[in-house]
Amino acid sequence: MKLRNGEYYIQEVARSLKRNNWMSFASIGTVAVSLFVLGVFLTLVLNMNRLASTLESEVQISVYLEDKVMPSQREEIKQDIEKMQGIESVKYVSREEAKERLSERLGDQKYLLEALGDKNPLPNAFEITVSHPDMVETAAKVIEKMDGVESAKYGQDVVQHLFDITRLIRLFGLALMVLLAGATLFIISNTIRLTVFARRKEIAIMKYVGATDWFIRWPFMLEGVVLGFVGGVIAAVSLRSFYAAMAAKIYSTLAFFPLMPQYPFMNYITVVIVLSGMIIGALGSAISLKRFLKA
Amino acid sequence: MIHMRNICKQYDTGTVALDHVNVDIKKGEFVFIVGASGAGKSTFIKMLFREELPTSGKLMVNGHDVVHMEHREVPYLRRELGVIFQDYRLLPDKTVFENVAFAMQVIEAPRRLMQRSVNSVLDVVGLRDKYKCFPSQLSGGEQQRVAIARAIVNDPAIVIADEPTGNLDPDTSWDIMDIFKRINKAGTTIVMATHDRAIVDTMKKRVIAIENGQIVRDQLRGGYGYEA
Repeated sequence: MKLRNGEYYIQEVARSLKRNNWMSFASIGTVAVSLFVLGVFLTLVLNMNRLASTLESEVQISVYLEDKVMPSQREEIKQDIEKMQGIESVKYVSREEAKERLSERLGDQKYLLEALGDKNPLPNAFEITVSHPDMVETAAKVIEKMDGVESAKYGQDVVQHLFDITRLIRLFGLALMVLLAGATLFIISNTIRLTVFARRKEIAIMKYVGATDWFIRWPFMLEGVVLGFVGGVIAAVSLRSFYAAMAAKIYSTLAFFPLMPQYPFMNYITVVIVLSGMIIGALGSAISLKRFLKA
Repeated sequence: MIHMRNICKQYDTGTVALDHVNVDIKKGEFVFIVGASGAGKSTFIKMLFREELPTSGKLMVNGHDVVHMEHREVPYLRRELGVIFQDYRLLPDKTVFENVAFAMQVIEAPRRLMQRSVNSVLDVVGLRDKYKCFPSQLSGGEQQRVAIARAIVNDPAIVIADEPTGNLDPDTSWDIMDIFKRINKAGTTIVMATHDRAIVDTMKKRVIAIENGQIVRDQLRGGYGYEA
């Protein structure tokens, strides 16, 4: 865009927005609503992802040792495990410690354990954390085969479920986002089409006197971008306060929940939403202009 | 300036509008294209500014190969042409001055040239004092003069006019023809499709008659001919 045309373009956009004020208003509204829903899904998906990976990274392997294993052999097993790739830490939990933990966890039902008297049914164990969640399964399988190891267990099921759910939400969210983006595109292109249609004579004359396609296109593109921008800003502002309110509510009831902190997370979301609005606006105009610029 | 070889045009509907047309028009010529409605006059005219493409044949306009030209080059061809229509095609919400200046604005001409060029072409068509008027405040002849001013403001090599006097009474038509004569005298080639027998007979310019898509007569200092 050449600078000396800037004034002309801006005049054209202002003129057109004024002329189609109701339609402009309606498309800004649609853009805002669509982008808001889009933003809600985006934040939801990102938060689910974060929750899943937080939980996943906390997955441990519990390695239960056979009772006959002596302290020296125990040390050997520990070293063998530590030598494996991707193992972050190996912590020994003695059966006494395990019993104590259990009794703590039982709380009011501690008597169940007391009924056992001095007997301790729990085995000695290692708690192992791995550097990457993908390694949990293979590592557990290898360790399970070691001498002196009775079994190696990990909370894979829970994580797997969570991942399945996240994937579902992500898929659903993506589908919805594509749908909404399409709808927004359609509505903006229709609004711009009204402008284009109202000015088809002008466009024809512009072509006869030798205007380039881009010269004709610019004001309309700019109009689409302005509509998308305003809609995007409205959506982003609403989403920000919505997220703040939701975050406050979640923190007051589920304090441990690993929610994305509002900053800078919401700033990124804002940028994404406003940019999407502008891109959709520009695309919408380009679509509605295509027919008029042909030939 | 204009060079047509074996130009054929068949529309998608199957209608053959032009059938092996050969024409050469030199710089500075004044040419009338005559013929009955539907004879192919309009197609002939539209091809010159690439509103229509020929189905086959070769067409050069002011050095441009119109047939093989890319879409993005078309504006630059049109900048060398001034096009005038029967229905004027002015923008109703722009003044006379703005309508003419629009043609310069659109091709991104420097603004400092605009004032001077527009005033000078408004002088040529005799509408300098009406520059503030809107098209609705003008007579048909005056509107056509604005359209002519718009067509010539960028100093085109060829002025192409499609029945420019079709909506005007005889006296006003003569005013328009006087303007064309002056533009032609200044060296601009003029190609004008018309129905107006009186004008063609009086002007004594080159006449190309088209009938059923073919050129049936190409005559220097000709008349309209015998058929209606």
